[in-house]
Amino acid sequence: MNYLYHLYMEFLANYNIPKLFGDITFYILPFCILALALLVVVLALVLIERKLLGWLTQRKGPNRVGLWGVLQTLADAFKLLIKENVTPDKADKFLFNLAPILVFIPAMTVLGIIPYSSEFSFVNTSTNVILYLILVAFPILSIFLGGWASNNKYSLLGGMRAVAQVLSYEIPITFVVLSVVTLASSMNMTGITLAQYSKTGLFGWFCFPCILGFIIMFICILAELNRCPFDLPEAESELICGYNTEYSGMRFALFYLTEYALLFVNAIFLSIMFLGGYLSPFGVYLSNLFCANMHTAQILVYFEQAFWLILKASLIIFVIIWIRATLPRLASFDLLKFSWAILLPLSILNLFAVVIYKFISGGAVCVLS
Amino acid sequence: MTTATTLKLNLGPQHPSTHGVLRLILELDGEKILSCEPDIGYLHRGMEKMAEGLTYIQYLPTVDRIDYLAGCFYSELLCRSVEKAMNVELSERVKTIRVILLELNRIASHLLWIGAFLMDLGAISPFFYAMREREMILRYFEKLTGQRMMYNYFVFGGVRSDIDYLEEIEEIIKILPSKIKDYEKIITDNPIFLRRTKGKGVLEQEVAFNNSITGVNLRASGINYDLRCSDYLYRDFDFSPVVLEGKDSWTRYKARILELKESLKIIGQGLEKLKSNEKFEQNLINPLTVKLPEGEYYNEIEAPRGLASIYIKSTGGDKPYRLKWRTGSYYSVNMLRHLLVGEYLNDAIAIAGSLDIILPEVDK
Amino acid sequence: MNLNELKNIIGECNLQGEKICVQHRLHDVIEFVKNNYSYKMLKSITAVDLGDEIELIYNLFSVEDEEDVLLSIKVQNEAESIVDLFESAKADENEIYDMFGIQFIGNEDLKRLYMPENWEGFPLRKDYIQDDTRLAWNDNSDNA
Repeated sequence: MNYLYHLYMEFLANYNIPKLFGDITFYILPFCILALALLVVVLALVLIERKLLGWLTQRKGPNRVGLWGVLQTLADAFKLLIKENVTPDKADKFLFNLAPILVFIPAMTVLGIIPYSSEFSFVNTSTNVILYLILVAFPILSIFLGGWASNNKYSLLGGMRAVAQVLSYEIPITFVVLSVVTLASSMNMTGITLAQYSKTGLFGWFCFPCILGFIIMFICILAELNRCPFDLPEAESELICGYNTEYSGMRFALFYLTEYALLFVNAIFLSIMFLGGYLSPFGVYLSNLFCANMHTAQILVYFEQAFWLILKASLIIFVIIWIRATLPRLASFDLLKFSWAILLPLSILNLFAVVIYKFISGGAVCVLS
Repeated sequence: MTTATTLKLNLGPQHPSTHGVLRLILELDGEKILSCEPDIGYLHRGMEKMAEGLTYIQYLPTVDRIDYLAGCFYSELLCRSVEKAMNVELSERVKTIRVILLELNRIASHLLWIGAFLMDLGAISPFFYAMREREMILRYFEKLTGQRMMYNYFVFGGVRSDIDYLEEIEEIIKILPSKIKDYEKIITDNPIFLRRTKGKGVLEQEVAFNNSITGVNLRASGINYDLRCSDYLYRDFDFSPVVLEGKDSWTRYKARILELKESLKIIGQGLEKLKSNEKFEQNLINPLTVKLPEGEYYNEIEAPRGLASIYIKSTGGDKPYRLKWRTGSYYSVNMLRHLLVGEYLNDAIAIAGSLDIILPEVDK
Repeated sequence: MNLNELKNIIGECNLQGEKICVQHRLHDVIEFVKNNYSYKMLKSITAVDLGDEIELIYNLFSVEDEEDVLLSIKVQNEAESIVDLFESAKADENEIYDMFGIQFIGNEDLKRLYMPENWEGFPLRKDYIQDDTRLAWNDNSDNA
């Protein structure tokens, strides 16, 4: 961050703004930018999903508000904002109101620990992979809380399904993450990203030595996000809308926002784990290739890194939406069986394979220390 | 009996996958269904009571509403009763027209079912694909009859006007087979679809007889009973009823897919007949003076959702003394009571969906 | 019941063809027909109000021969239930109870089906008075 800090201070000095102001704002500003960026990302994601689903199912998707419907989600969000918040009569009012907030906070927080580029990583703890796993699992508890507090049977069933589902799919994820951690010898996302660097570009990525883990993790992420074909907690044709049946207005918007924020975060995490994070797939950054000026190139590289990361995440999100348009929903019993009987053994096998690979390639000392 | 460990769930009447306003009172243990009690009547329009106060021609436009997805079948039944009672013979061309429209209607109905069934299972695309093809048929109906759903096209002794826009039917039967192939590609061998439908909702023959199940659901349980084989309208058509042995939800799906192809075949033959028989003549009965001779008239037809029949008792007046409809869905709904017990909630939705229940037909 | 008894009740007639009038013991007749003539399906039960009595027409169907048999019985306000023979009779009898008010002895689950729970009268009876006050909008009675 030092480089950026100096740039920022220089910029402020030009306008005679005191250094203290710069010292304070430099650490607050990124979070503000991030919060705004997240809103934009979520609104864009919702629009993209609706557009893509429309095209995949022979429709046009939103096309009325704004050019090609780009303002549709904005209009929807505005509508949700001005709607009344209805609390069911016999609901547990405190928990009912608490749940949307509890579901939203972890999803926002988790965005701060992700390295978007080599300089944009706001909270960089040495074991932020663990922190990530905890924060991402947290919204599910709030979903159950909301489902239970709604005093609605559909919501309760949806919440129960969500908990059962996440419990069974968290475990394979953890094993897969462990195998990646073993490969990278690091529990830090920046460390994991850097461990995937190679001159050949994308051939250094962990999705090649750990292809099994990549597939398992992709499936588990679908289940964690309650996405099709694992969308049982909010199965429209069975549970109407699952846990958020009773929510309306802004509270519903928070659930909705969280859902897409988590989709974005999970896709980013998957790209960090297996697709080289913010690394360029060509081994060298295009900015360095095409920009002669060193200073400009250095700044462009940061943006290029973020671009690569978001591009990779977008590809994953596209596949997730594509799957939604294709597959029917799993049966609830199969869902659990699939996790415990297939994914869990495979993920353990994957871990063993990775440890042996690591041992042979001479990194065992690193792991043990 | 509701104990502290069981949950009573009202599935419906406003629920996305009850296809209308069916209400199922379920008792759940976790997600396992302990008992199921269908509650119907939310869409009751008193079709039978209404008939007693209306003349036959006044009643004719309303009967399409008994099953709004396959209205032709019900107007055909009423027309047929009147024609048979008054000894009116239909001309060959009118017969063919009626068969073509009935089968087009059947295809539209089955297509909607395929979409809705897959929607119940959580797949969204097949719904839109099926709707796209159904739209072609509805557009044709709109062009021909002026209506997309309640056609009111059959009249006593004939049809309202000669059939037209035949090139559009030709287009439909040319395009549809490839589209059906597409559905099969995306649905039939999908492993998740197989897991959710194979061996689920097994309908044994004895249970089917006992519950008076007819139509595709019965034929998918291995009983060769298709009323079209003995129907006088279909006498000159060459087709074979779809009989499959699987008894489960998947077989019912497959049977409907195959039935689409059979219907297309019948329509193709009908078009050939129309070409060889250009002369349009009708033996119309003056609708204002329709009076059925005293007696009882019973007619039945193979509707998309099972056997449909009409019973008319006439005392010689211009209004029926008593009119009774028998519809297929009514018995399917009542069978849910047995079929759903012991299943999990999301399987139950799939099984109920596979029976092709439509509520206006149940409530009449 | 054996064939002779059956003949005593319904007289010498073909099972196929016209409607057969049964004077009494309808349940036994249907049981006999079901067990001995492969009439395994009850297509429907139709009730007709004849004024002073109500006629019930049972439409039995043999899938093997694709043939119908119509059995009819005239009853006052009570009839024998055949739910132990055909599951589908439950639905039909319930509908007839709802519309004609006939009590089927042996069928425990008779309840209002289409009409509201507290509805008075049975709509398809000829003596039913149409202008029920509850049909008016905004009335104050506590109908369902």
